[in-house]
Amino acid sequence: MIASILPVDHFLIMTVYAVLVSGFFALLWRESARERRRLFAILLVALVGGGLAVAWLMYPFPS
Amino acid sequence: MSATAEATAQTAGRHPAVAVALAWIFPGLGHLYLGRRRTALLYALIVTVTFLLGLSFEGRLYTIDRSQPLSILATFAVSGSGILNLAARFLSDNPSGTILAPTYEYGCAYLLTAGLMNLLLMLDAWDIARGKK
Repeated sequence: MIASILPVDHFLIMTVYAVLVSGFFALLWRESARERRRLFAILLVALVGGGLAVAWLMYPFPS
Repeated sequence: MSATAEATAQTAGRHPAVAVALAWIFPGLGHLYLGRRRTALLYALIVTVTFLLGLSFEGRLYTIDRSQPLSILATFAVSGSGILNLAARFLSDNPSGTILAPTYEYGCAYLLTAGLMNLLLMLDAWDIARGKK
């Protein structure tokens, strides 16, 4: 299994997820290659950046 | 010939219901049927990788649990993966996932996302076959 090879790294798993979702919606929502690359980059930055921002906001709160 | 006219000509004679059914059976198959080979290949790759990672992370292939109404939605979402879902249920020795695994929640999210992606591909195949896209 891949999970036994890869380290259980939350950031890595989140980034892989963001890459897959961004690629999917870039293909689905845009027609030209240039527009797809642009949307892919925007979605990837938004997902990874949003995830980090939420994590940073939650950091001070105790579990 | 314009791009729209070319796309319409490419999908002429293709039945929307067949495109949707093929799209459900395997990710990208509906788009392949509609003549969009490159995007079909990319869709197949993305959805399949997402699904296999979900299995690898020991996520759960949901089944309906009457005591948990949300499991109906989750089962519907996972069922969107078509033959991948069916094959995994029959071939996997652990279709319920491993709730104690540190990657369990990630696995569930990946499996649900793969199914939902393929449901969107089915709707996309319908739109393309109807000449709306």
